[in-house]
Amino acid sequence: MSYPVEEIFRRAELGEKSVFPRSDEFGYNVFGADVYDKPRRFLLLDDLLLLPPQFTPERLEKGVELLREPLYIDVDTSTTVGGFKTAMPVLCASMGGTHIANLLGIKIAEACAKMGLIYGMGENIASIRGYDERLTDQPSFKERALTYLKNMQGGGGLVIQQSVEDENMKLWEKVYTDPDFDQYIEEGLVGFEIKAGQGAKPGLGGEVLVTREVALRIKDHYYIPDDPEKVVKKYYERHSAPGTFTEEILASQIRLIKNNFPRVKVFVKTGPYRDLDRVIEIADREGADAIIVDGKEGGTGMSPVAAMRDLGLPTVSCLSAISRARERGAKISMVISGRLYDGTHVVKSLALGADAVAFGRPLVYSCLARIPLAQWFIKNELFRVGPLASLSKRLLSTGIRLGKCVEGVMNYLKSVRLEVMLLTSALGKYYMNRLSKEDVGALKKELADLFGIRYVYGPPPGEKVVRQVI
Amino acid sequence: MQAQIPLEPEAFAEDIYRIVSHPVMQEVYRFRHRIARALRDFLDSEGFVEFDPILIGPVTDPGTRGAFEFRIPYYGKEYRIMRSGILYKQLLAAAMEEGRVYFFYTNLRHEPIDAGRTGRHLVEFVQVDLEVRDADHFQVMEIAERMLKHVVDEMKKYEDRLRRIWEFFGSERRELRTFSLPLKRYTHREAVEILKEHAKDPEVIKLLKEKFGVKDPASRLSFKAEIPWEWEWYMSKIHEEPFFIHDYPKGARGFYDREYPDKPGILMDFDLLAPEGHGELSSGAAREYEVTRVFARMRETNENPAIYKWYLEFLKRHGVPTAGFGIGMERLVKYVCDLPSIHLARPAPKVPGVHSP
Repeated sequence: MSYPVEEIFRRAELGEKSVFPRSDEFGYNVFGADVYDKPRRFLLLDDLLLLPPQFTPERLEKGVELLREPLYIDVDTSTTVGGFKTAMPVLCASMGGTHIANLLGIKIAEACAKMGLIYGMGENIASIRGYDERLTDQPSFKERALTYLKNMQGGGGLVIQQSVEDENMKLWEKVYTDPDFDQYIEEGLVGFEIKAGQGAKPGLGGEVLVTREVALRIKDHYYIPDDPEKVVKKYYERHSAPGTFTEEILASQIRLIKNNFPRVKVFVKTGPYRDLDRVIEIADREGADAIIVDGKEGGTGMSPVAAMRDLGLPTVSCLSAISRARERGAKISMVISGRLYDGTHVVKSLALGADAVAFGRPLVYSCLARIPLAQWFIKNELFRVGPLASLSKRLLSTGIRLGKCVEGVMNYLKSVRLEVMLLTSALGKYYMNRLSKEDVGALKKELADLFGIRYVYGPPPGEKVVRQVI
Repeated sequence: MQAQIPLEPEAFAEDIYRIVSHPVMQEVYRFRHRIARALRDFLDSEGFVEFDPILIGPVTDPGTRGAFEFRIPYYGKEYRIMRSGILYKQLLAAAMEEGRVYFFYTNLRHEPIDAGRTGRHLVEFVQVDLEVRDADHFQVMEIAERMLKHVVDEMKKYEDRLRRIWEFFGSERRELRTFSLPLKRYTHREAVEILKEHAKDPEVIKLLKEKFGVKDPASRLSFKAEIPWEWEWYMSKIHEEPFFIHDYPKGARGFYDREYPDKPGILMDFDLLAPEGHGELSSGAAREYEVTRVFARMRETNENPAIYKWYLEFLKRHGVPTAGFGIGMERLVKYVCDLPSIHLARPAPKVPGVHSP
């Protein structure tokens, strides 16, 4: 599916200015909503609209508090997710040890820390890139983790995944007993995330390509179809197990973290599974601090094409599971992800019951946007061209040192934050937890039914057609 | 009365000879020897066979409460230093005709730094680790209490010598209290109910907050979780004799502690606790021995079954019911000598986070 990279590049360059139409066109052009769209296979959050009211009692309340008319800048975007304070209801989805995610990961870490966002570290970073010392020419697990922790400003938390294979190196125990992490663990700034799924490949384990050097090192711990001892080639497919879960296994894994690592928060990352409602219910019942649900449109470093096309529930359907759990009174923090990238996505998700939204690709692209030549390479898909592919890899490594990656990611996040403030204030609200179902309407009847929200071409729900006479 | 000398873990790095040659410390080490002899006498008379510890192997048992395993290179592979003898003692209890085996097992656990602050955890320690074939947890609890009684009765004979140690460390203890069997037994649920009742007393909460620096001790008590350190200390403090807590909820213990077939979520396991705040001396359980159950339990504890190959193969073909426990040597010494901290029970103690000889 096409991904709006140009949109993200623009935000990474312009930051908050990107929220408005191009200023050089101001006065020469008029702007309006796009009404045409390409045919799509499934419904998106873009099939919902935000519905500001005329009457805004909460704005009145805020005005009384401020003793002036409230503005969008009075919107407080800070909130709590999984026991961590965060400056805005956005967190960095856990990205793993693949080339691009890991190279950029350290820059994204710094940007998230400075913006006060929760930062997730995906699986296979320590096992592929090294825990402490670099096993490749890329940052090690600890470099990434400590870059984040040392740059933290006003909120956030570090969330660490452990795959079945990372378990071989006992990553969580290693972190938990490492003096370099102890002060942060003691301050309650670290969480462990059970990886129970991913949007782009529900039911499949991690699939990545690794170099021969890496393949030789890890072949005892992963399934690699071509034995690197016998077959010599540049890249090897490396598969990791999806991990077997039953209700009991998930419940026990949560309990295990709570008992064995009592000073960390417990996160569960799951995917677009048909029994998602039950997964959320169990995570909530067992007292996990947060659950991140990745819809089928979620990003990945590598996944079978058929999986991305045909496996799993769309992000909106996953959001409806969160919505239902919220109505059941779930106490766990719930986070949605899967091709979400702007302020409208954040505000809509929160209105429909999520506590926050997780971003993956937007952070990668906004990081890339500020690397010389990277935009040009990506727009023209030059990295697909044989001889240019290795050049692009080299450009990436040097570009990261020269570029303004951190600024790109921060610019992008600032633009999203500004949108969240503008949209929330338009809805007459000033706190993230006040957003609710009344704030959204559906362009499609299916979505109106799914969420129990207003269909925009019909009357408000519960409203009698007969007018009340005052 | 001997001269006071600095005895904190860091002091061992300064002048270890001054500490280990101190007359009171020498006396502590002698008690360690007497206790070891009493344990061996008891186990030998009960028909147990002693093995030397197996220090390294391709896999060790999962850690508890966040402890990491040490690793060493081994001919192109990475081997683990045993965190406990559980896998090997289960093997040997099944294999040996006597069906009763024990080790004086030296174990290494890379404990989290906060465990070092409890005064009850060492990185390097010895546990007397035993396993009995065709037994359940209740049967080995009887062995555990008889063994402990034997040790305490034997040490009672040296009370005058103990008194010197108590005086030196400012202990309030005036006699080594002996006890009759059976010891008091609480289920985990009963223990948590008692503690929840005590948690209503603001004085208790104040004490725990001050002593352990815990923000909200009452909220940490749960029927579904292990008893937190501060409450375990409190439970031990309000007892004058050792006691058992058994039937823990599944969640914290290793995959090898057997779950009641008719009580899902409850384990056939126990802890033996010393009184006067000394806390846990021993942990034990009936074992899971059917490979299908062990496989599922490994997933529940987030373990990778693939690395347990030899153990799963053994269970698949020769798995039989066994039960056993490990009793901490240093904890036993600490309890008998009423030492203020566990590191005083070893001549070159390794306290988490402290670099000492």
